[in-house]
Amino acid sequence: MRLPEFEYVDPKTLREATKLLSSGPKGSVLLAGGTDLLVSMKHQLLRPSRVVNLKAVPRLAYIANQKDGLKIGPLTSLHELASSRIVRRRYPALSYAAAQVGAYALQAMGTLGGNLCQGNRCRFYNQSSVWRGVRPPCFKTGGNICHVVPVRKTNGRTSGSCHSTYCGDLAPVLISLGSQMRLVGPNGGRSLPLEKLFTQSGKKSLSLKPGEILEEVLVPPPSGKTVYLKWRLRDALEFPLIGLALHLETRTGGKIQQAKVIFTGVGPGPVETLEAEKMLMGGLLNAGLVEKVSSHVGNELSPMRTSMVSPAYKRQMAGILLKQALDQMY
Amino acid sequence: MKRVLKLYVNGEILEILSEPHKTLLEVLREDLGLTGTKRACDLGTCGACTVLINGKPHLSCLTLAADAQGKEILTIEGLSQDGELHPLQKAFVEQGAIQCGFCTPGMILTAKAFLEKHPHPSEEEVKKAISGNLCRCTGYVKIVEAILSVARGVKEVPGS
Repeated sequence: MRLPEFEYVDPKTLREATKLLSSGPKGSVLLAGGTDLLVSMKHQLLRPSRVVNLKAVPRLAYIANQKDGLKIGPLTSLHELASSRIVRRRYPALSYAAAQVGAYALQAMGTLGGNLCQGNRCRFYNQSSVWRGVRPPCFKTGGNICHVVPVRKTNGRTSGSCHSTYCGDLAPVLISLGSQMRLVGPNGGRSLPLEKLFTQSGKKSLSLKPGEILEEVLVPPPSGKTVYLKWRLRDALEFPLIGLALHLETRTGGKIQQAKVIFTGVGPGPVETLEAEKMLMGGLLNAGLVEKVSSHVGNELSPMRTSMVSPAYKRQMAGILLKQALDQMY
Repeated sequence: MKRVLKLYVNGEILEILSEPHKTLLEVLREDLGLTGTKRACDLGTCGACTVLINGKPHLSCLTLAADAQGKEILTIEGLSQDGELHPLQKAFVEQGAIQCGFCTPGMILTAKAFLEKHPHPSEEEVKKAISGNLCRCTGYVKIVEAILSVARGVKEVPGS
């Protein structure tokens, strides 16, 4: 499969990269590891006129452990994240999540920034142009229908929205750890909680403004315990059918003081189940509470049939994953 | 528009004229004649196109040739030294780890990068390391055995 033609540029600084990214004649894209972008371009899901190679900008791959937490550069590879001693010791869930992405070569190529900013996925979207050609284009490919939930035409118009699913492994873990991100754009920078990166809309899943680039992720010093569980049919290569990051902080005596329950693979962005968190807060971790929360959590999710498994299956697996995660917390 | 690419492949600096949308796989196979690197899925799933860039496995079908400039590229053709096969190549031949041979270059290069970092791996670790390299002949048992035999036989992989 050949890549469509484009202009290729090597910026020397982040500033230059943001300018090149926002000033392209007809769509510019940022290249990091390329493992998501180039596949989308080969499938002609994206036909950018310009590719801006972020890897040409020096010093964007680093893991720096500082007083206010761990600073990670956007071009840090997943392999580096998975094998870094400091990450493994202080943030084992993050190290584990990075090791679950793809396989060796994909981890050596894939980057933190690229993994966070990966495109949403759908069984009707992530296909070759020939495969997609038998159906009218969907919302995400410029059309006005979603093949996951086709809405009937009323008065000649269709309604509905894109239901593509966010399947990143790192975002739920980093959000559960309370991470912040720094963005840099043509008009300066801004810092936001990482969850603000996601719009929770399938068609445009990231909140990045034109020309904006993820500059750094800051993970606060570790507190409590975090686990990440990834469910898929094969233990390598696959995206999660559903994944769960659970973060708990307990007071002496065992009362839960802080709870974060964040899923991936079940919505247009990482999904936080607030009710489940409320049920956990202030409680004592025992078999009764585990049963109660894990049998409830599926009701808070509305996954769509964007992969090979049904929404009902994902809801059921959500409860099972949460039970397994909570069991690890004892 | 074509422009000059300077690639450092198998210890040699090569200059070629190429377009920016060419992948490293296309340039290796079509412009440089290094057809040991295989094209299969072409979408980063199968690992047949694996080459080593700065010692780490990379999928050449998802790497732009322009982006590989200034980095050390090793393909299967560059593995043997003075006509002598690399211990991994020897092990694959001797242990019958090659059936149709299509996945072999990717398997061997992934294994080389892995063994350099983990000279004494367990069977489980070897399986995990090559989990991104698919063998459609399903000859995994022999492949894992061949890699383990190298790990057991030599303390350090030559060329590391």
